[in-house]
Amino acid sequence: MKRGRERLNQLFKRDGKLRITSMMDILTVLLLFLLKSFVAEGEVITPARGVELPESTSPDLPEASLVVAISKGSLLLGDEMIGKSAELEKEAGLSIAPLADGLRRNLEKSRAIARMRGEELDEEGLITVQGDREISFRLLQKVMFTCQQNGYGNISLAVIRN
Amino acid sequence: MRRKRHKRTLTEVAKDLEILPLMNLFVVLIPMLLLSAVFLEMSVVRMSPPAESAEGPDDPGDKLMLAVTITPKHYVVEGIDIGTTRVKRDDVGGTEQLRSTLEQISMEHPENKNVMILSEPETKYETIVQVMDITREAGAPRVSLLGTDGIAKERIR
Repeated sequence: MKRGRERLNQLFKRDGKLRITSMMDILTVLLLFLLKSFVAEGEVITPARGVELPESTSPDLPEASLVVAISKGSLLLGDEMIGKSAELEKEAGLSIAPLADGLRRNLEKSRAIARMRGEELDEEGLITVQGDREISFRLLQKVMFTCQQNGYGNISLAVIRN
Repeated sequence: MRRKRHKRTLTEVAKDLEILPLMNLFVVLIPMLLLSAVFLEMSVVRMSPPAESAEGPDDPGDKLMLAVTITPKHYVVEGIDIGTTRVKRDDVGGTEQLRSTLEQISMEHPENKNVMILSEPETKYETIVQVMDITREAGAPRVSLLGTDGIAKERIR
C-alpha cells in the first residue's frame, strides 16, 4: 500500500509548470509574419473570388477603392451582381447599362458623403478593375468605357506581382 | 487484486496529456501556410484619367505613333518611319524578340514614351497585360489600349 502511494505521489509530483515553449514558437512565427506584412504595406484589397488575376511586373501598389470584378462567369460591382460575362460581352455597343447605373449610384453616394463632410471629391473617381486573365479584350474595353463615361475615369487594373 | 489493477489503470489515465508533438505539428504547418499566403502579392497597373493627359491623343511628343498590334499569330510593331516588324508569337523567343525590337526603337527614339496597343476583340486580357509589361520595360510607359475594329479609343496612362 505504501509503495502504491509513493508511486502515486511520484507520478503526480511533476511541478505545476506549464510547458509553453512550443506555444512561444508559434507566437514568434506569427509575430514575424505580421511584422513582415505590415512593412510591405499589407493587403488593402483582397482579390475577388472566382477571378484569376493576370501576372505583371508592375510596381504600383493597390489602393482601396470601388472594385469591378470580371470573372469568367459574371460581372460584379462591389458586392452587386451586374450580369453574366458571356451575355454582356455579346451585346452590341460599348456601354454596359446595368454597370453604368450602378456606377452612377455609387458616384452619387460618394458625392453625398463628401458634401456632408465638406470635402472635395476627386475629379475622376478611382476604380479598380479585377479581371480574370482569360477574359476577352472586348469585355474589358466595354467595362473600361462604361467606367470612364460614368465618372470613374481613374482606372487601375489589378494584377498579381510577378 | 482487482482493486490494485483498477488503481493502476486509473493512475495511467491521469497522466499528463502529451501535447508537445501536437505543438510541433502546428509549428511546422503554420509557417508553411503563411509562406504560401505571401506569394499572392497584388499590385496594379495604373491608368491616369483622361483629364490629366490634356494633350489628347495627338500630343506633341507622339511623333512616332508607335503601335503594337496583337493578332492571333503575330505581334506587329509599327510606327512612323520605322517600318513594320512582324514577330511570330508562337516562336519560343517570341516575347524576347518583341522586347528587343521595342528596346531598339527606344534607343533610336529616346524621347518617345507613348505606345498604342491594338487588340482584337478576342485577345486575352493576360496577353495584353504581358505586352504592357514589355512595353513599359522597353521604355514606353504611357500606353493606350485600342481595338482593331476602331470602335473606341481608351486613353490611358
